[in-house]
Amino acid sequence: MAQLIILALAGLSVLLSAVAIRRDVPPDWRFAVPEALPANGAPRFETVFDYTAPAGQAHSPSIVLQPDGFDVLWFEGSQEAQADVDIHHAALRRNAGAWQVTARGERITRSQLGAASVPRQLVVTLGNTVDNERRSGDVYATVVSVGGWAMASVADVRMEADGPRSARKLNLSPFLNRSHLVKSPMVDFADGSLGLPAYFEMGATHGVLVRLDAEGRVRDTARIAGAGKPIQPMIVPLSETRAIAWLRDFEPSGRLLVSETRDGGKTWSPVRPLDMPNPSAPVAALNLGQGRIVMVVNDDPDGADRLSLLVSEDEGQSWQHLRTLEENGVGARYPVLRRLGADEIALAYSVGNKQGVRVHVFNAAWLVTQ
Amino acid sequence: MSGLGATVALAIVLGWVVFALSGLLLAPPWPAVLALGGGVLLVLVARDTLAANGLVALLAPFGVMLPALALRHMAVAQGLSVPGFSTAEIAVFLVLYTAFLCTAFGVIPVDIYRYGYAPWPVAFMVLAVCAYALATGNWFLAGVAVLGQLAWVMGWGSSNWFDMMLHVLLVPVAAVVLITRLL
Repeated sequence: MAQLIILALAGLSVLLSAVAIRRDVPPDWRFAVPEALPANGAPRFETVFDYTAPAGQAHSPSIVLQPDGFDVLWFEGSQEAQADVDIHHAALRRNAGAWQVTARGERITRSQLGAASVPRQLVVTLGNTVDNERRSGDVYATVVSVGGWAMASVADVRMEADGPRSARKLNLSPFLNRSHLVKSPMVDFADGSLGLPAYFEMGATHGVLVRLDAEGRVRDTARIAGAGKPIQPMIVPLSETRAIAWLRDFEPSGRLLVSETRDGGKTWSPVRPLDMPNPSAPVAALNLGQGRIVMVVNDDPDGADRLSLLVSEDEGQSWQHLRTLEENGVGARYPVLRRLGADEIALAYSVGNKQGVRVHVFNAAWLVTQ
Repeated sequence: MSGLGATVALAIVLGWVVFALSGLLLAPPWPAVLALGGGVLLVLVARDTLAANGLVALLAPFGVMLPALALRHMAVAQGLSVPGFSTAEIAVFLVLYTAFLCTAFGVIPVDIYRYGYAPWPVAFMVLAVCAYALATGNWFLAGVAVLGQLAWVMGWGSSNWFDMMLHVLLVPVAAVVLITRLL
């Protein structure tokens, strides 16, 4: 009798497998290469937002593109990882040719997110957010329900005007789905899908490129592991098959880490240290086309917080210092770069050692003049 | 569905704890009555309390195996015949599962968890579990594997089949069972 039941269950399993295989759309591991950013018109560089938290910390800005401009999101509270940290935002829209802040305040609170989560659950603190480029206005948020950052999870948060409408944690780890965070913008693939750079922060640490299915559920992951303690991968596609990931070394090695892929992100070379100094801080980078990459990085060899703007004309093999964006002492960290429309770039980072957020908008013509 | 599923799974696991603890003091059927009452109370009354939300945040996704083992334990205590696992099977499971967790932490540099997202590897793994269940006559194991696959295909809960079959709480549970059998 038991054998008959098991055979019937095996038959049911074959049917379920047939359904799953027929429905499945395997990830297409070919990157979408961005079009070259044209250096047209007059050079423009504008500081569009400069914010200092009234108390406590405001840190780790992200840029969320909107149809008529962009939002800047950051986490704010008494101190990072504390139980009073929520996600705040500023809405920036172009009015009469100038960028203006049209709204500012809390965007995602812990209680809102806990109530919107499926299943409903406790949210103790919030961290880095990333624009969900598949759905305008939605974000991926770093969520902590117990412990510190090493116990964080990544939540797919669907937004509405007043805050989160629903949220679901991405399934990224068999250890209570813990220890994954996000920091860098998503990566475009040739089939129109997107990859989410994330990182595992417990133990040996590693970067992860997460592939999502049409419903936004995790369909595959590719690890970026190797030397040091690599976290916060910043992935820049160079062609359909090649990309570079720059990573922060969580160990105080003082060096930026790098890994490359030659199969569209499916596998990554062992992470290795570069000669570029970096005081264990994340970097932002953007492919401007034709081998040109712009990078914003803390690159002071003395390990301070100077923030520099660099450009590479050879796909990241060598770098030219364009400009010091912030001198040591400003406490500038956690840069993020995003393209805006046809020819503009938005740059955001935190200042004052996590006490504020600064945002600039510039164009490719300005880069040429540097 | 996964919201209700998580609440039911939490109710079963907490009911199991009540069953195990009250079983130390009370004679049957009172432990089972208390477990049932505790579980129903959680689903109907305490579902949105801080404690329940905190436990869901801490333990979800529950998967299928953990609540199924809890139900099996309580059913067997009521005199029902449900196949279980030998001491050797539990010992091997503990070793393999610990190694699996080590791969997730990067201590062993292989990513096995990744295969739980894809239909072909999941199809192979479920059939392998069914083949083992057929060899040992353990319909409970085959039932959990296929029920986990059903939940995975339907999108109820985790998008990774391993989360249906495994849970970190199985480590202390397996260790306690091993110790009690060896003593």
